[in-house]
Amino acid sequence: MNNKHEAVSLRLYEIRFHGRGGQGAVSAAALLALAAFDGGFEAQAFPKFGSERRGAPVEAYVRISAVPIRAHNQVYTPDAVVIQDATLLRSEPVLRGLREGGLVVLNSAQRPDVPGGDRDDLRWICLPASHIGERLLGRPLPNTVLLGALAVATEWVSLSALEKAVTGHLGRKGEEVVKANIEALREGSRLATEQRENS
Amino acid sequence: MRKLLEGSQAVAEAARLCRPQVVAAYPITPQTHIIERLAQHVADGELEAEFINAESEFGAASIVLGAVAGGARAFTATASQGLLLMTEVLHNIAGMRLPVVMVCANRAVSAPINIFNDHQDSMALRDSGWIQLYAESNQEAADSVIQAYRIAEACELPVMVCMDGFYLTHSFEPVELPEQTAVDDYLPPFHFARTLNPARPMTLGGGSEPDNYQEYRVAQHEAMENARAVIEAFDADFGEQFGRDYGGLVQGYRLEGAQTVVLGLGSLMGAVRDVVDRLRNQGRAVGALRLRCLRPFPAQALVEGLGSAQRIIVLEKALSVGAGGIVAAELRAALQEAGITTPVESVIGGLGGRDLTPEVIETVIQGAGPDHAGSGCRFAPAHRLPTRNSKGEKAHG
Repeated sequence: MNNKHEAVSLRLYEIRFHGRGGQGAVSAAALLALAAFDGGFEAQAFPKFGSERRGAPVEAYVRISAVPIRAHNQVYTPDAVVIQDATLLRSEPVLRGLREGGLVVLNSAQRPDVPGGDRDDLRWICLPASHIGERLLGRPLPNTVLLGALAVATEWVSLSALEKAVTGHLGRKGEEVVKANIEALREGSRLATEQRENS
Repeated sequence: MRKLLEGSQAVAEAARLCRPQVVAAYPITPQTHIIERLAQHVADGELEAEFINAESEFGAASIVLGAVAGGARAFTATASQGLLLMTEVLHNIAGMRLPVVMVCANRAVSAPINIFNDHQDSMALRDSGWIQLYAESNQEAADSVIQAYRIAEACELPVMVCMDGFYLTHSFEPVELPEQTAVDDYLPPFHFARTLNPARPMTLGGGSEPDNYQEYRVAQHEAMENARAVIEAFDADFGEQFGRDYGGLVQGYRLEGAQTVVLGLGSLMGAVRDVVDRLRNQGRAVGALRLRCLRPFPAQALVEGLGSAQRIIVLEKALSVGAGGIVAAELRAALQEAGITTPVESVIGGLGGRDLTPEVIETVIQGAGPDHAGSGCRFAPAHRLPTRNSKGEKAHG
């Protein structure tokens, strides 16, 4: 085990994704778990169980751990939340249970004034992921941009592991899709690095 | 090699490795991904099988019945209402002693309609003559499918591998898939002695009169009784060959000196293990026993596992309406027969997908003691959602 594994050996990291049906919250969770697993961690990803309906609020969860994960429960006290659609801040309790000092990765150019946004312990990364997705992928898909940002902000997964996960998971969709999504990962990571350095 | 796989994919790959020649199913949540994956394998030429998209679950069950009677290895999967629609055929498969293997992606039954997990569907089929194995993890679900074919074909009994809908079917977790050659070594080719053959006409499941029907049922019961040793032996064999075994019929966790033991089935036992660790760290003598095999009912293995416990809690995701816990009732009978008077607390929870979180499980354990145990049951509380935020470190156990 390398040093990073030792540093997190007693911790279990939990991430909750909030999106709308069709935005790919479940795919995002799977990509993150694949990258963590590739990085030598135990990982688990699953959707909030339910019927999938386009546009309806959806949740997906990831657990990352240095030791095998046995529980199959939903995530109630995440270390980070990734919000794929900023309008969910108004309608869903997306910050519920977020741990002290937790991270919010939000698909929005600015940090909105939202209920729960008064918590001063949270770290926010806000970036216009849909716009970037539109530019790079031809569709307003925020996933890989947000994942690139999450990777930089948490260091739970490396960018190269995410790129590998994208290559494997999206391989069936063709080389161009893979390439564009890797660009999106890098753009998300670049913007998150900028925000970190400016804060 | 360990891979991060969705549970449905893991069991589909395991089924593929068993080389079924006929796969028949009708889609139903949360089973559908299993059959989709197998259909893809057949379409891609990676599985040489006849894939039949049936017109209903009744049809799917009938197709695998016919396929196995014709000497082919067959696979199907279903859940909930689909399983119930198969009911009549499932009794027939068992009565004809056909080694069919199916995966039940456990889901609640209607009404009210609910697509989420509990064990009501397969529990309702407990008297149908099928062996029932309940998996705790995706790894075990996949491994159990491979074991299931060997058990079924050796005992000439059908096997239902039960895996929790969503909690397992839709979760990505690390799974080690065996090599094809290793599975071929473990699972010999299927040669069915009673294969239907036009050259030697015979009838399967034909009429039976009052003078011999009961003998068929007795033989079926005896085959089930004998299956216990087979399930244990093939699980041990599997462990020797693949390095993973699941305790055969039951699997204990930290039972040494355990005064309180929680008994349960399926994926919820992962959270139970975490709770047991946490309570053990606090110096409390708590252990867990997982019922892996519901049929044949492993009365003796349960009695051995629970014999020295002073408090037994059965936490189960199914309800015999008007009676209480199903496993609890069977356990009470087994203990009584063994002369053990420890009261059994029957706790029902997790119905219709309600999450049995570590917090809920701990509440159940901290809750009513033996004094509250009666012949009925009590119900687990719902998980209390965190308020504004939550502090403190999380650690395993």
